[in-house]
Amino acid sequence: MAGTVSINLASGSRAQAPATRDAPIVRWTLIAIALGFLALFLVLPLVVIFAEAFREGIGAYFASFNDPDALAAIKLTLLTAAIAVPVNVVFGVCAAWAITKFKFPGRSLLVTLIDLPFAVSPVVAGLIFVLVFGLQGWLGPWLAEHDIKVIFAVPGIVLATLFITFPFVARELIPLMEEQGTEEEQAAMTLGARGWTIFRRVTLPNIRWALLYGVILCNARAMGEFGAVSVVSGHIRGETNTLPLHVEILYNEYSFVAAFATASLLAVLAIVTLVLKSLVEYRVRRQIARAAIGEESS
Amino acid sequence: MSIQIRNVTKTFGSFRALDDVSADIPTGELVALLGPSGSGKTTLLRLIAGLEDLDPGQGSIRYYEEDITGTPVRKRRVGFVFQHYALFRHMSVFENVAFGLKVLPRDKRPAKPQIKNRVHELLRLVQLDGLAGRFPSQLSGGQRQRVALARALAVEPRVLLLDEPFGALDAKVRAELRQWIRHLHEELRITSVFVTHDQDEAMEIADRVVVMSQGRIEQIGSPAEVYHTPKTAFVVNFLGQVNTFDGRANGRVIEFAGIRVDVADGRDRDGDVRVFVRPHEFELSRTANGTPGLTATILRIYAAGSVARLDLQLTDGRLITAHVPQDRFAALYASNGDRVFASPRRVHVF
Repeated sequence: MAGTVSINLASGSRAQAPATRDAPIVRWTLIAIALGFLALFLVLPLVVIFAEAFREGIGAYFASFNDPDALAAIKLTLLTAAIAVPVNVVFGVCAAWAITKFKFPGRSLLVTLIDLPFAVSPVVAGLIFVLVFGLQGWLGPWLAEHDIKVIFAVPGIVLATLFITFPFVARELIPLMEEQGTEEEQAAMTLGARGWTIFRRVTLPNIRWALLYGVILCNARAMGEFGAVSVVSGHIRGETNTLPLHVEILYNEYSFVAAFATASLLAVLAIVTLVLKSLVEYRVRRQIARAAIGEESS
Repeated sequence: MSIQIRNVTKTFGSFRALDDVSADIPTGELVALLGPSGSGKTTLLRLIAGLEDLDPGQGSIRYYEEDITGTPVRKRRVGFVFQHYALFRHMSVFENVAFGLKVLPRDKRPAKPQIKNRVHELLRLVQLDGLAGRFPSQLSGGQRQRVALARALAVEPRVLLLDEPFGALDAKVRAELRQWIRHLHEELRITSVFVTHDQDEAMEIADRVVVMSQGRIEQIGSPAEVYHTPKTAFVVNFLGQVNTFDGRANGRVIEFAGIRVDVADGRDRDGDVRVFVRPHEFELSRTANGTPGLTATILRIYAAGSVARLDLQLTDGRLITAHVPQDRFAALYASNGDRVFASPRRVHVF
């Protein structure tokens, strides 16, 4: 937990040993800078969001969600996350499994490619899909012939979100699975277990916290993604607007209360994600520490 | 024969880990695969288990006359104890041992109370009955080792395979576990193969030792056989301390370090040979007594222990080691700097 970490830092031996303690002025300056920065860039915007959202009272706040376009945006965001997260869980587990448990040609290439969405600007990622699936794109004529709409439609949004979020699960699992090795799976094999049983009863319990952590991050990004989705969405109200896009539209139309109310939903999501993330992070750290201790003493 | 290994070859990329290896593991015996690291012993064990695949078309492995070359691990009914135990870290000791029974197909799976009885029976056998609720991280190395053993035994394996079973333990626990495994083997009589790089360990508990080097089997035999009648230079060198000389053979007479001795193995040799003499195979005397002996000066005496160990320097400057029983050493009245004659009672020539 975040709280636990800061307590650990404060009660570390460094703070108690006078010989190694920094001068008070240095300490307080550093703390002031850190906290001031945090307040300015994180707490203040959060306060502004909620202050603006509730400026005209609770009634106006909830009225903003009564708008059919707002509801459609919420629905589309939930749908996108509901597709992107499970797909990326499957992909992430498969990729992490393949990378850590087998040796095959192209293994290091796969490791590098998993990081691609982090390296590429989301706008570029969106454009890639336009170039592939758009009317002037490679598959455009064929799609148009079969009356399949990808760009400026829901499939495009889902595809872009899938692309942006696919590293999250795999990247959480790979270090842990590497640390744990394959011996437990081999032991299960000698004891007569089949592939699926081994996965369910040996591998999955060993990675469950890291997996959950990856899912939380993946979900947060899937719901919050703006750049890539913005390129492929076409901003059709009530049809291809996700929550972040809807916030932008409302803001541009000077509907500040509605814009901030919608933004507050995303802010709450972020806070919930942060809390869950810290909780799970704590479990994962303990698990990795335990795995490492197990290695040492065995 | 429990396990028959025939002409097995295994390569990893361009590295030949095993090269045309054949061996028989008799039913009910405890067999050691002994060799330095890189000798292929662990690879052979993993091939027997099915954790590695044979090179296609390169040899066969049979259990009780049944060819299991293409059979997957889970159908072989082997008990495998990993060097680092590979216990399921998220399961209690009880769950670990019960795993093999719980994953049996429904029609073969025992009922819950039976599984419970069986697990507790096994935990009693490995003297861990009180620790059924603990997790692997809460156990000592020796206890983990025994849980791994109980887990492997739960599926009533046809053969028990152990990879460096004492490798990860400290010296004292190691010595205790060795004896304990030997007793357990006598009680259960499951055909067992274990890998070790420690010759004392192999000599102490195995019925039969398979000495391996560079992917080949050097010699198979009882501990006494491989120690007293080694078949290759590698075996003499690997099994205990030895003094090495370059010599020349002429029929049954070997000349080395300025002396000539007869070799009693009835083989004629000619040309350059290597001569090996174990430290305890030297007879020491203060005066030349007619038997061919190396003239040497005592450099250092280690008198503590069951035998007196002496570092000797030959007249040409070379160093050798001799071990003398304590009573013989006392009768020698020798101290540092004294001159002695070291007559080999026995030589190994290759």
